[in-house]
Amino acid sequence: MSILSALFLFAAGAVPPPAPPPPDPPAILVSRQLLASEHLALGDVIALSGDAKGSRAREFRIAGVYEPVPDPGRLGMVPLEARLHLPDLVALIADPADPAASESVRSISVKLVSPAEASAFTRDLTARVPGLLLRELAASDDSDVTFVVLDRFHLAISLVTVIASSIFLLALMVMLVDERRDTVAILRLIGLRRRRIFIQVLGEGLVIALAGALFGVLLAVVLEGGFNRFFQWRYDTALVFVRVTPAIAARAVSVAVPLGILASVAASWSLLRRGAMALARR
Amino acid sequence: MSPPVVEARGVTRTFPMPAGPVVAVRDLSVTIATGEFVSVCGPSGCGKSTLLHILGCVDTPSTGELLVDGRDVSTLGDAARSALRLSKIGFVFQRFFLLPMLTAAENVELPQAEAGVSRAERRSRTSALLDYVGLAHRAHHRPSQLSGGEAQRVAIARALANRPRLLLADEPTGELDQATGQQIVGLFERVHADGTTVVVVTHDPAIAARTPRMLSMRDGRIEDGGSR
Amino acid sequence: MRAKVWTFALRSLARQPGRAVLGILGVAAVGALLFDMLLLSRGLLVSFRALLDSAGFDVRVMAADAPAFARPRIADAETAAAEIRALPDVDEVASLRLGSAIVTGPDGGKHDIFFIGADAETRRRPWILLEGSDLGASDSGGPPALVVNRRLATALLLRPGSELTLRGDCTRGSATAAPPVRFRIAGFAAFPFDDPKAMTAAARLADFGRTCGLDEKSDADLFLVASREGRGPAAAVRAIRALRSDLHAFSNEEIVARFQQVGFSYFRQISAVLSTITLFFGFLLITVLLTVSVNQRFAEIAALRALGFTRRRVVLDVLAQAVLLVGAGGILSLPLGLALARWLESILHAMPEIPAAMHFFAFEPRALATHALLLALTAVLAALYPMRLVSRLPIAATLRSEMVT
Repeated sequence: MSILSALFLFAAGAVPPPAPPPPDPPAILVSRQLLASEHLALGDVIALSGDAKGSRAREFRIAGVYEPVPDPGRLGMVPLEARLHLPDLVALIADPADPAASESVRSISVKLVSPAEASAFTRDLTARVPGLLLRELAASDDSDVTFVVLDRFHLAISLVTVIASSIFLLALMVMLVDERRDTVAILRLIGLRRRRIFIQVLGEGLVIALAGALFGVLLAVVLEGGFNRFFQWRYDTALVFVRVTPAIAARAVSVAVPLGILASVAASWSLLRRGAMALARR
Repeated sequence: MSPPVVEARGVTRTFPMPAGPVVAVRDLSVTIATGEFVSVCGPSGCGKSTLLHILGCVDTPSTGELLVDGRDVSTLGDAARSALRLSKIGFVFQRFFLLPMLTAAENVELPQAEAGVSRAERRSRTSALLDYVGLAHRAHHRPSQLSGGEAQRVAIARALANRPRLLLADEPTGELDQATGQQIVGLFERVHADGTTVVVVTHDPAIAARTPRMLSMRDGRIEDGGSR
Repeated sequence: MRAKVWTFALRSLARQPGRAVLGILGVAAVGALLFDMLLLSRGLLVSFRALLDSAGFDVRVMAADAPAFARPRIADAETAAAEIRALPDVDEVASLRLGSAIVTGPDGGKHDIFFIGADAETRRRPWILLEGSDLGASDSGGPPALVVNRRLATALLLRPGSELTLRGDCTRGSATAAPPVRFRIAGFAAFPFDDPKAMTAAARLADFGRTCGLDEKSDADLFLVASREGRGPAAAVRAIRALRSDLHAFSNEEIVARFQQVGFSYFRQISAVLSTITLFFGFLLITVLLTVSVNQRFAEIAALRALGFTRRRVVLDVLAQAVLLVGAGGILSLPLGLALARWLESILHAMPEIPAAMHFFAFEPRALATHALLLALTAVLAALYPMRLVSRLPIAATLRSEMVT
């Protein structure tokens, strides 16, 4: 974690400005959530401390408010954060008895001119400065892994729902076809060939599946806003939970339509393979 | 004269329809005495089936009184009317309405089980009834494996299962050919001869002619044979 | 309901076996998902609680109510621990320092390991010894003792008695200037909070401090406290809070409650959403199946009513059919759900830093009871509409319309 990124402040709160007020407290940025939680406002002077006892507290002026980068790994945690200039932070938390404390940082973030050379840079620096731990951010980030895992989890869940939906669809088609048993019997008795009726059933299945899939996508689009608003409110985050992209819509339709057709074919098969008289007789 | 099994007094049945109310049975009075064999005939829509439904306590008259065994049933609740039908009235329908998932014997056992008859008694009674209608050999056949005449005979056995005082049949030969229809009427004659009161709704004058008493209906009224 | 109602309902369903089988399979699929969502809704909590309880400590004391990586340390830990230990509600206190260290493998590759410094004088330990001996209060000459997890032992080909050099990387925000320290492997241990890829080692606090270049009596990240038997963790927490208002003490129960609010919230939410959807889906499936079935049997039901079946009897028949469909599907959903849970567990366990002993799907009898209750409720609700149709069926009008059609 970069030293300029989040510093969590739990014991800190708004305090009245000491008298006489310091001439020019250093500027800090606070997260929207911290501002709301402590009822702060832009321009307020607040005291921050690096430890729970509030020792060596220093004063800062709130220069701005920022929205923390949404992090799915910290979902549910309210990001009470502040961002300080590095010298201010070092002055706040470094151990005065340890001269090295003000000369060291936990990590250094490096942006390469050519990101493609990240691996070579890492190897080179490791050889030059033994003991230094280097990690390519693009290579493997925990939050990325979390996303990938959640994606797989959602995919698995959707697979189960597709199976359940297929069964439901098949049941519906069986009932639909069964309702039309008499009609099929009459059509067969007046001389329509199986193939002709089968094509009609197939066509109907296609229309129903297409209409159902499109309705499903439309419903998902309508629900998308509601879901996102609910979870963004629930977790106080800017994370987007549901996004119906054209690719996802296309995938949904491409799964639903063949399944719908298959269900109608499977359901009508038992009817079409029987003789016309057997159908009429019940 | 035998006491009446069922008696309708000034019965009217009106059905509310979008185009205005339709009077199916109009201020009709009729008495069916114990041991009678009565046919109700008339053209389609004259109110025969509605009258049968009223006599069988499956429909309630809009006005008028209905007495079964001398007791006014017009004000009875659903459970009491069901109990009355189960124990005292047997129904035979034009389309048989045998339960397709049950065998002939199970269909006959069904109303007995509902009436709480013991299993042993049910078995013995069912066997006797199927024998009575000439279908002992078809006891374990499903309705789909029976001919129309056989199915109707099973339906008659089912209607007689709880030894009702009154057997009502609504166009019982409507789905059958003439010869089979005559056999079914013959069966009704036998049921009647064995002491059960029988009322048959039919549009077939030949069948009506075989009953000792015929009620002729037109426009919701009995034109002939209403009172004795 | 009497046996004849069930038998009749069963025969009614068997009449259209394809439809009944599809209904049961549909309920089994949604029931399996529902079961899994119920397991998921509390799985993490249950297993997290089990992990917290596993070492026998029932109270945690920290310097601040903050996430582990941002939490300040408890200053002057030795004094604080002694004060807490002296409380009558407290049985035992173990100080813990958390950090990391770098070790070199037999192939020359460097490994970043999780390094724990622990009080070696307590009876309880925050790990379970699997093989060899535990950390003693002191060493009788030779290199200091270290217990390691199996994964580290396997990666570095370690055995009890072998030696390992650790280079401390223990402080946040400042590098370790201390020289590498050579340890003797005393034994292998299972650390409850290890994730499947974790390589973990634990040493005595003094040796941890030496490796990390820290004062032995300096800060601690955490106190693990065991309350005295008969007093309970709540009393211990109250006493610690009264003694040291600057510290934050939580019982295991409180920690679980807190995690329930934040840490596991996503899975609770998703399980709530999916449970609702699956229940609605099951409801819809059964309602449609029964409604269509009832519609097709109107004339037959009217005939049964004419034969003397009461309204209650035919309504019960529909309810019994719903219960049979949902019951059979529900029973089938349990093995399906358990199999599905194993699969989903294997997917979710790929998440980083999830302890290997923690489970997203943990079986609890109450989940089974809730599953049964929700499915029963679904069966009843799904049957309501077809039951209403049947109960309002006009016998005469239905028989008449059947004649006309």
